[in-house]
Amino acid sequence: MNNSMNTRQRNFIVGLIVIGLMIIGFFGLRTVRAFRQFHGHRPPPPFTGEKAETDVDLIRDWMTLPYISITYRLPPNLLYETLKIPPRGNERKSIKQLNDEYYPEAPGTVLELVKAVVRAHLPPPTAAPPDTAIPADTAVPALTPVPQAVP
Amino acid sequence: MSDYLLTQIINYGAPLFGLILFLAALGLPLPASILLIAAGAFSQQGFLDWVSIAVFGFLGAVFGDAISFGMGFYAKNWVLKRFEGSPAWKNARETFESRAGMAVYLTRFLITALAVPTNLIAGGSGIRFRRFLIYDSLGELTWVVLYGGLGYLFGSQWELVSDFISSFGGLLLGLVILGVGVWLGTKRLRTTGVNAKEKVSEA
Repeated sequence: MNNSMNTRQRNFIVGLIVIGLMIIGFFGLRTVRAFRQFHGHRPPPPFTGEKAETDVDLIRDWMTLPYISITYRLPPNLLYETLKIPPRGNERKSIKQLNDEYYPEAPGTVLELVKAVVRAHLPPPTAAPPDTAIPADTAVPALTPVPQAVP
Repeated sequence: MSDYLLTQIINYGAPLFGLILFLAALGLPLPASILLIAAGAFSQQGFLDWVSIAVFGFLGAVFGDAISFGMGFYAKNWVLKRFEGSPAWKNARETFESRAGMAVYLTRFLITALAVPTNLIAGGSGIRFRRFLIYDSLGELTWVVLYGGLGYLFGSQWELVSDFISSFGGLLLGLVILGVGVWLGTKRLRTTGVNAKEKVSEA
């Protein structure tokens, strides 16, 4: 009885140490990776309500069109018009839900279209210092032709 | 799941956010810390009111914790019936009771994966509800201010903070499990050593 208790205790302790080490290894690597990405990023200047977001890469599948319109300071109906979908009934749907509903055969279409529209309507950049000037051949991509939405 | 909840928080605001934190505090596997950082960012962007977010979030989390404490309290008899005679249970209970305040406080914001088990153990031990509530409220306040504040500070870049914090939380959990394993192992080795010495001296 005592022996089996000892074996169980020992297995439990060894199990704890092994599981602890595995979790440390897994999350340690993730922490280092996340720290590398995080490092060097300073908090952006406070959102004063006048300055629009300009980083198009921050647009995600879970965002709604009104959220994107406000964050990037776009006219309220511009995204709906571009996507050829009615605003009514779609205000609370995420980009992914809109894609599943209107472009079921082309995953990612709505996200790409929204990014293209936002990119095309970004405010002109403020004068950059000479050493960071954007090369002349870096053209802003034109709007992608909109595929026909499923009614 | 996170994506769906983020969309709904944008749509329905602070009350839904409070409800999610309440359910997470009851033990449902919901990404509460990530949503708190995101909510901080949404309030910086002007979509949500930061006061409502802080109040609903704090109240939701504290109510959820109080209920899971209650669940531990009412399951006490069952646990006692099963483990009361065990010296290991007695030992664990005494150790927990002596450090309960700090355990409750730290698991609210630092090792959040252990928050619900801590609530259940606290309810099942002899800790008074008022004492639990004080440490719990302080911990949840720290959590809301710290995580929500980071989201508010980083705004649209909140995902960077969230990735780092969730990975770091996992790392801390691993360190705690390893620490408990090493502590129990050391204790067992000592006990074995003492027993062996006693046997030798008896012989």
